[in-house]
Amino acid sequence: MIALIVILLPIAAGFALYAVPDAHGRTSKIIGTAVAAATLLMTAAQPHAEFSMRWLSRPFTASLHFGATPVSIWIVLLLALCTTCAILATNVPRRRNFIAQMLLLEGAMMGLFLARDLMAFALFWDLMLLPVFFVLVNWGEHTATAWRYFLYNFAGGLTLLLATAAFGILYGSTDVIGRADVHIVGAWVPWIFAGFAFAFLIKTPVWPLHTWMPPTYSDMPSPMVAVVSSVQSKAGLYGLIVIGMAFMPDYLRAYSGAFIVLGVVSLLYGAFVALTQNDAKRIVAYSSLSHLGLIVLAIASFNPIALKGAIVYIVAHGLFSAALFLIIGYVEDREGTRSLARLGGLGAVNPRLAGAFTIAVLAALGLPGLAGFAGEIVILTGVFQAGYVWPTILALVPIVLASAYMLRLFQDVMNGPAVEDVPVRRDLTWLEGIAIAPLLLALVLVGVNPHALTVFDPAPYSVAASSQGVVR
Amino acid sequence: MNVIVTNADYMALAPVAVVAVTALAVLLADLLSRTYAQRYVAIGIGLAGLAIASVVAARGYGVDYAAFGGAFVLGGFSVVFEEIVIVAALGSLVLYGAIGREERMGGAVALMLWSACGAMLMAGAANLMMIFLGLELLSLALYCLCGLADRPTSRESALKYLILSSVASGFMLYGMALLFGASGSVQLSALTNAALLSNPLFWMGSGFFLVGIAFKLSLVPFHTWSPDVYEGAPLPVTAFMSVATKAGALAVFGRFIYAALPSGAADRLLLPVWIIAAISMIAGNVGMLAQHDLKRLLAYSGIAQVGYILTAFAGGTAIGMRYAIYYLAAYAFMNLGAFAVAATLSEDEEEGSRLANYRGLGRRHPLAAAFMTIFMLALAGFPPTAGFLGKILILSSSVNAGYAWMGGVLIVGTAISLYAYAKVIRAMYARDENVQVSDTHPFVPLAWISAAACFVALIVMTFYPLTPSNVLPLVR
Repeated sequence: MIALIVILLPIAAGFALYAVPDAHGRTSKIIGTAVAAATLLMTAAQPHAEFSMRWLSRPFTASLHFGATPVSIWIVLLLALCTTCAILATNVPRRRNFIAQMLLLEGAMMGLFLARDLMAFALFWDLMLLPVFFVLVNWGEHTATAWRYFLYNFAGGLTLLLATAAFGILYGSTDVIGRADVHIVGAWVPWIFAGFAFAFLIKTPVWPLHTWMPPTYSDMPSPMVAVVSSVQSKAGLYGLIVIGMAFMPDYLRAYSGAFIVLGVVSLLYGAFVALTQNDAKRIVAYSSLSHLGLIVLAIASFNPIALKGAIVYIVAHGLFSAALFLIIGYVEDREGTRSLARLGGLGAVNPRLAGAFTIAVLAALGLPGLAGFAGEIVILTGVFQAGYVWPTILALVPIVLASAYMLRLFQDVMNGPAVEDVPVRRDLTWLEGIAIAPLLLALVLVGVNPHALTVFDPAPYSVAASSQGVVR
Repeated sequence: MNVIVTNADYMALAPVAVVAVTALAVLLADLLSRTYAQRYVAIGIGLAGLAIASVVAARGYGVDYAAFGGAFVLGGFSVVFEEIVIVAALGSLVLYGAIGREERMGGAVALMLWSACGAMLMAGAANLMMIFLGLELLSLALYCLCGLADRPTSRESALKYLILSSVASGFMLYGMALLFGASGSVQLSALTNAALLSNPLFWMGSGFFLVGIAFKLSLVPFHTWSPDVYEGAPLPVTAFMSVATKAGALAVFGRFIYAALPSGAADRLLLPVWIIAAISMIAGNVGMLAQHDLKRLLAYSGIAQVGYILTAFAGGTAIGMRYAIYYLAAYAFMNLGAFAVAATLSEDEEEGSRLANYRGLGRRHPLAAAFMTIFMLALAGFPPTAGFLGKILILSSSVNAGYAWMGGVLIVGTAISLYAYAKVIRAMYARDENVQVSDTHPFVPLAWISAAACFVALIVMTFYPLTPSNVLPLVR
């Protein structure tokens, strides 16, 4: 029942917020934070809660079945944590409506990651587009961005829908997520796989399907882009693991070459483009493209070690990208700009802001002791062990480049001479500090003890892979 | 052929009779009631009559009975379509309470009820004459209804509909004559004779018959009438027409392809229908992109949505028929809901249909905007509405029946349609500081209730997907 409550509570609260009189949004902020924190506590308290109810019995059986899998439990906790922090950090006009959309987004993504049924998965896959679309329409900078986001991702959602329907017809049930004993065979499977893969690759995104992502990330207010980049972008990777790898391993293996190429190209392309950007949010957006490419590479390598690394890195990337976007949001609140050309010298007068930024940047560039490193090193080890030598070598290049663009981002914002016409206001307030602290703390904790993330064994998904002789 | 008519035969027609008698009662009450009350008396009696008819019709659900020598079949299939027509009439009648000036409504209400009678006859019709009778009753009343508003576009709409629809009826009647010539009987069941396969009259007759149906369903290339007619007709009439004519024509089409074709004919005969359904899915959705008027938008949307429903019919599987009915019911609620919201915005009859008037609605009237959003999303197939589940069910039946290519076209069409539907949503919610639109219409309880009921129905249908199970055996 808890599994259902953590989905419905944020959604109900989101709609209920519209009834709150909108004075200055403080009430909605308190309610929003409380609801998100409550979902975090409930998920953490009962990670194995399940809920199931029969939905369809014809033409295939489907259930409204929710409950965390070993992979999704960490993403769900990440989601609840990021949403809590982001709502606490929210400082946008028409705050009540914004927080309501944040809660709706949390509920929809809770449903997606807790779904144990492909139909429910598809339902929430589409549903989670709506809050982002509304926020882009209302708070975004360009209308075209909202359309690009919506149409791209809806196209992915439709192929997912067709693939789900075909899967149901072929297997007779869609109540399969989290099971390791389901394998489908037949002439249809390549098409089903293609339908799922298209949706997942758009959502992640990988090059060349990424063009919706940089404008979306730079247009959206920071609190929401923190959640979207840290959690929504993981939906595709999660799907690749629990659907692609678990049910159609032969096809994922058959096309693993293509996935590795896409992953490596995204890695390199994202890193090189991040070097050239002037907008702080776009730098983080392109760095996300690069980092998520590494996870695609890890999944496509079919190596159990790389898979464990992928889970660690999914969480790590979620934490540091959320922290980076929130901090860039703070900077933008103060200076009114995200342009590196117009920023500078904030560190001297905002030491606490600079300190928080340092931790996030160092985690993003993969400093040992922080979460990013733990994920990267395990993934690279696994990919190398699987026999992919050249991809491993190519993947090292963007890791070096990450230092370059992340340090450039830090230096241009925090160091150097203060730009004259930019007013320097207050340092991090205690509320803003509390909003960012859990993310930074988690970065350190995961960094020093990444093993904790593999306490729920993702083995069932890699067993299918490893039992067929992965090591080449 | 001697047909012995018993009481049971008349009982089979009871729902239709109740609606027809209600129409007469509306006319009488209209004469007797005072001026200020006329509108609500007419609507009230109409709603009560439809409610009784729906209860009476529901009693026939488990029955399998052929009345009047097989001319009218009572059973699950006809009951489900009758109920959809009744829902369409209910949802459209209430809109008369929301729009228009204080004038005599009795005639319009009565005509709409008679039109509903025609569609209900089509739902149960199992012989060619009964089909034509129902179709003409439906259409004749609609010609008048289309022209009732005091606007040039309304008269244009009525004339266009009259001429083009009559041509289609002519096609259909000619087809029926040829089918009669081929089989020697007006009964649909007589067409299952395998000897007909070698008879050119049968193929020609079926072809003409299907052209007539395609016209009524406004499939490409017989679709050009519907945007103009929908745009000109008064809002309640458009709402009724968009659902009831489709329900009637789909009932006839369903019965024809499931129960009236010799085995082996379906694949060859119906392939052109599936192809034009596929084209309609694309053309309807593309046509929607350029529209600035809600009625035109929904007309193009209807062209595409019929394509979706036919995708479920493709292959002629029992399960496909159930999902077609499920989606048709969902479509009825989406459309009626959207029109109900439009009615709440209508100061005079045109206003609620211009998309420009939806700008900034999210702030002016959040509830209306929220309802409209849900209906637009449902039409686009977004969760958590019945449109989403309906699409999954249609896709699975198309894969199951070996018509996955139609499922693929459906996906492409839906992707195109999202832009058009989301444009309405964006207009309602976008920040737009200099909006100069008149305020919403004062409180119109009936239209609000209708919109809320459609909303609830769409959500409930998603999580309790009741697809009628005993439909197929009852097609004769």
